[in-house]
Amino acid sequence: MNSLITTFHIDWKIIIAQAINFGVVLAVLYFFALKPLSKLMAERQKRIEDGLDDAKQNANLLAKTKKEYDDVIAKARIEAHNVFQSGKKEAEENKKNILEKTQQEVESMIASGKKALDAEKVKIVEEAKNEIVSLVVAATEKLLESHGDDSYDKNTIKRIEKIK
Amino acid sequence: MENQINQNQAPVTHEVTLYAEPITHIGSLPVTNSLLTSWIAVFIIIAIVAVLRSKLKEIPKGIQNFFEIMYEGALSLCDQVTNSREITIKVFPLAFAIFIFVLINNWVGILPLGGFGIINGGAFVPFIRSGTADINTTLALSLMGVIGANIFGIVSIGAWKTFNKYVNLRALGSIPAKIRKDPTVLVVAPVTFFVGVLELIGEFAKVASLSFRLFGNVFAGEVLLLSMSALLAYGLPIPFLFLEIFVGAIQAFIFAILVLVYFTIAAQDHDEHEGHASSSVEKLEGELESLAG
Repeated sequence: MNSLITTFHIDWKIIIAQAINFGVVLAVLYFFALKPLSKLMAERQKRIEDGLDDAKQNANLLAKTKKEYDDVIAKARIEAHNVFQSGKKEAEENKKNILEKTQQEVESMIASGKKALDAEKVKIVEEAKNEIVSLVVAATEKLLESHGDDSYDKNTIKRIEKIK
Repeated sequence: MENQINQNQAPVTHEVTLYAEPITHIGSLPVTNSLLTSWIAVFIIIAIVAVLRSKLKEIPKGIQNFFEIMYEGALSLCDQVTNSREITIKVFPLAFAIFIFVLINNWVGILPLGGFGIINGGAFVPFIRSGTADINTTLALSLMGVIGANIFGIVSIGAWKTFNKYVNLRALGSIPAKIRKDPTVLVVAPVTFFVGVLELIGEFAKVASLSFRLFGNVFAGEVLLLSMSALLAYGLPIPFLFLEIFVGAIQAFIFAILVLVYFTIAAQDHDEHEGHASSSVEKLEGELESLAG
């Protein structure tokens, strides 16, 4: 053992010095490199995992929202179609009603116009008759003035009045 | 006066010694060239760590990328050895520190700065000699590794179980209880006890094998480089320098992995894990030792 110690110059002071050197290296590596590095990597890993989870949740949410949107759009289309159809039907009915009403109004207007026209016609004929009679009377008076015979006059007047 | 001149003009010799040569003394501590190289290595490691620490960012760049890749690779490698992430997390800093310390020491030792040194009593003493080319360094590391492994064992499986690995009183104590059912216990228990004693001797063998393997390899490398330089100083040592860079890395790796293996074995209860896990670790240890040898 002594020869071993002498041959290799084994010195406990140097052994302790080298142990301290290694201790320093271990402490420096652990506290200033490995620990912060592993902490940083673990944090990053967690953040990446959280990000992936969030992305997955967002994708699910997006898919759900899109489905809801599609459903709403489909429902809206159906409703719009129904509204359009009912509107069209209503419009057609309205149109029909208006047409019928208009036709009735036109017919009543025509009827009342015809009636007024007939009345006017009767009135005009009556007036024309009266006018003609007065003209005939006037003309006859003129003629009779020239004959000077009363019996002829009276007879003529009677005939004229018969015409009337 | 004439004698003094003759002494001054005496040729300076450069002998390769098995031990690290002292350059100076700090009090009673001899500052050897290996110790000086170790201090340089420590300084280099601190500088690298300081640079890394200052560049640590959430989004990695440059040196941080390199260290993160190295860290993750080393962790998964340790997982393969320990078969347990829990043990890996606990032992990894020590194994990694050993690897880095030995690696930088090995590499600083082969820096072509052999011409710088002092002349001490007619002998040239270079400033640079690999820290691990001194048995004191490798002994310190192996002692720390083996003692640390046993402390880790005590913390992991308990003092009694760790004690029984070496002085298997449990095996002897089981004789009266088992002898009626199984008379072979009379043979098996003393053998188990003796195996425990062998384990105890094995712990000292671990210290010796770890320290002398690393010392021998690195010292042999330095001698090889010196011999090649003596044959032809220009060009010839270059391939051997590359070889030594490789050997330095391999030896650092083997030392660190063996310490990791010792820690893993220490954390396993032999009675509970007599099968697969412990035998696979021991097999790995055997393979590594044959590779390193």
